[in-house]
Amino acid sequence: MMKRLKKISLISMLLILAIAISGCGGGTSSKAPSDNGQQAEKVLTISWAQDVGNLNPHLYSPSQMFAQDFVYESLVEYGEGGTIKPHLAENWTISPDGKVYTFNLRQDVKFSDGTEFNAMVAKKNFDAVLANRDRHKWLELVNQIDGVNAVDEYTIEIIFKNPYYPALQELSLIRPLRFLGDAGFPDNGKTSEGIKAPIGTGPWVLEDYKQNEYAVFVKNQYYWGAKPKIDKVVVKIIPDGETRVIAFEKQEIDLIFGSGLISLDSFRQLRDSGKYQTMISNPLTTQALALNSNRGPTKEQAVRVALQHGVNKQALIDNIFYGTEVKADTLFSPQFPYCDLGLQPYAYNVEKAKTILESAGWVLKAGQEFREKNGQLLELELCFDSANNVQKALAEALQGEYRKIGVKLNLIGEERQSYNQRQKDGNFNLIFNDTWGAPYDPHSLVSSMRVPSHADYQAQAGLPMKAEIDAKINEVLLSTDKKERQDLYRYILSTLHEQAVYLPLSHGTNIAVFHKNITGVSFDPQKNRIPLVNVDIK
Amino acid sequence: MERFIVNRIISLVPVLLGISLLTFILIQLVPVDPAEVYLRLSQIPPTDEAVAVTRAELGLDKPLYQQYFDWLRKVVQLDFGLSFVTKEPVMEELLYYFPATLKLTAASLVIVLLISIPLGVFSALYKDTAFDQMCRIFAFIGASMPSFWLGFVLVYILSLKLDLLPVYGRGTLAHLVLPATTLALGSAAVYTRLLRTSMLENLNQNFVLYAKARGLKERLIVVRYVLKNALIPVVIAFGMTLGHMLAGSVIVENVFAWPGVGRYIVSSIFNRDYPVIQAYVLFMAVNFVLLNLIVDIICGLLDPRIRLGGDR
Repeated sequence: MMKRLKKISLISMLLILAIAISGCGGGTSSKAPSDNGQQAEKVLTISWAQDVGNLNPHLYSPSQMFAQDFVYESLVEYGEGGTIKPHLAENWTISPDGKVYTFNLRQDVKFSDGTEFNAMVAKKNFDAVLANRDRHKWLELVNQIDGVNAVDEYTIEIIFKNPYYPALQELSLIRPLRFLGDAGFPDNGKTSEGIKAPIGTGPWVLEDYKQNEYAVFVKNQYYWGAKPKIDKVVVKIIPDGETRVIAFEKQEIDLIFGSGLISLDSFRQLRDSGKYQTMISNPLTTQALALNSNRGPTKEQAVRVALQHGVNKQALIDNIFYGTEVKADTLFSPQFPYCDLGLQPYAYNVEKAKTILESAGWVLKAGQEFREKNGQLLELELCFDSANNVQKALAEALQGEYRKIGVKLNLIGEERQSYNQRQKDGNFNLIFNDTWGAPYDPHSLVSSMRVPSHADYQAQAGLPMKAEIDAKINEVLLSTDKKERQDLYRYILSTLHEQAVYLPLSHGTNIAVFHKNITGVSFDPQKNRIPLVNVDIK
Repeated sequence: MERFIVNRIISLVPVLLGISLLTFILIQLVPVDPAEVYLRLSQIPPTDEAVAVTRAELGLDKPLYQQYFDWLRKVVQLDFGLSFVTKEPVMEELLYYFPATLKLTAASLVIVLLISIPLGVFSALYKDTAFDQMCRIFAFIGASMPSFWLGFVLVYILSLKLDLLPVYGRGTLAHLVLPATTLALGSAAVYTRLLRTSMLENLNQNFVLYAKARGLKERLIVVRYVLKNALIPVVIAFGMTLGHMLAGSVIVENVFAWPGVGRYIVSSIFNRDYPVIQAYVLFMAVNFVLLNLIVDIICGLLDPRIRLGGDR
């Protein structure tokens, strides 16, 4: 009997071994698949956490912005420092009243199916977006466009309801105003209901796709601009950051690009190993806390100012971000248009923070850990997205920092939707509220400050000059005079800074980690773009 | 036997109805308004007007009981509505992802059987020997290791250091090895112990003594009588484990980027994609119930006392 059982056991073990061994051949990635004796293709493999989506240029989730940017292009491009550069439009003129923008389109642009990009197809795209205005209400550009005309084969004019100065910046957005080829339109023309195929003018064409597994982009043979040096980009969908790191170390991935794709610990480990190349972009966004001027102790300006002085931001940068982000003193980095205002930063000064609180009547009784005023404890709620490890680490660090000045900080980590709900309801004392980055900043974020469903509005709702701030925001968006705009922005941003309704912590960046055989990696001012045109594999 | 199966199937109807009601009510208890979630996921600002329109569109303005019956009527026709995120039919998406999860679970099951049966049998036969102690250590370690950690350890050693297997994704049989092993090891450890205990109990039964007295060979006694009896509690537990594996492959699928239902539901939960969550809960509940039915049938086949009511 024992012999037979031993035999069964042996067979079992062999079967397990067979399963393991049978797969061993498939473990390595094929960097450059052979091409029937021709020169091997240059294939760059990157990874993303979510599926790239259906790549409808006129819609949003679940399409991923970097992938939409691979395939579709805009009339103009957003360059460093907010300069607007020609792209599909060679040049443009603006009527004296600021209401008519006339764009002369490039004449050498073709879609990936070989058809021409011209004024008619451009108008068709604008019309499809405008037919779905409700969905794009968040974007003031769409609200302000009255209509679009094709003047001739390569000229279009956009008619605005009011002069709207950020029009060019918003035309550079990745979505929703980019251009789908005629053959990609559904029969009824309503791209809001879906598209037939992702046909764009961009440098890449979607060649192969398996939902939630991978997407393969190849070069657009009709591309009018600088041709990419690599032949193919494979986007592998890997939801877990640690798996992504191991796949990278095993050379199954060539490049990790973006923010939040791997933990900062992993980034530090890869950087310090010396085996790979790493890069950090210029500041792109601001990680900030909104302090609610309409709720609890943060109603008081003195408390808000004390909270500003009570944070050692550099320690957060060094210990939580490992130097991958830059200390933020203002809501918007000075490199953004109209934002270089020379505002005086709130320096880290624990004693000053304590003095401000004492002066405001928040006293620390002997033997007590936290301050009180008229029997009320100085207790605040900091809300964060529980799935966001960086927010959690920052929240815990702040809890320790504020304890030093006698402020009790309660941490409330919740799922994304509940967290969003708090932003909307104003149900917070402090809440994480990042800026949006280029090309939205500062105008789009400032515009959203007027909308009650935003944390910005809720945080500012208790300010005595809120109505005036909103009025100035209305003015700045419609102003045609640059100097006037600068003055208006100075008022808005200086007031918010003085009132201390934002606690800027760090300027967010993109990171890039890549193998040493990869060259030409660079960053774009827009956070969601992955510029691969200059990338090469040696 | 047919009557036994028919009775069990009939008894499933109220269970499934109860599950559907519970699923529906639990979703209603979530504090966030599905209409607002829908709007946010569609990138439409959730103004009061837009919320009102969406509530009407989604039927959320109707009385709760009416919403339930409308939902149930569609569910019976396998219509779970459209995903808030992808705008695709939920049933189609579930069926798209389910085969991958099924494949992973089936592979895990094979590994569980291949590990736990020989180890469980031998550790019982060689009770208190070094082999038994090793199996015990394996069981403790296997049962106590969290799957995400085990997954990373296996990937680190077998993929990164030894370069034997791919790190992630689906493709060749090799891609299946690590996720299936990760999913299987915890259960294999538990079943090894369970089978060992069950074997020992049966080895001490009088029928074994009688069989030996009748001169039957030990091999025959163990394989035909002891193992067959010892498998009954294991098979019962197996039904539940299989359900857990199907529903609980979430972490493993995320770690190994395995494109199954687990990954689908994780992103749906984060997005509060209610139609998907509702469908998933119901789908998995039905899986559990059906697996239990299958287990009951197998137990009935293994042990006539069960199918005949236990009194004969």
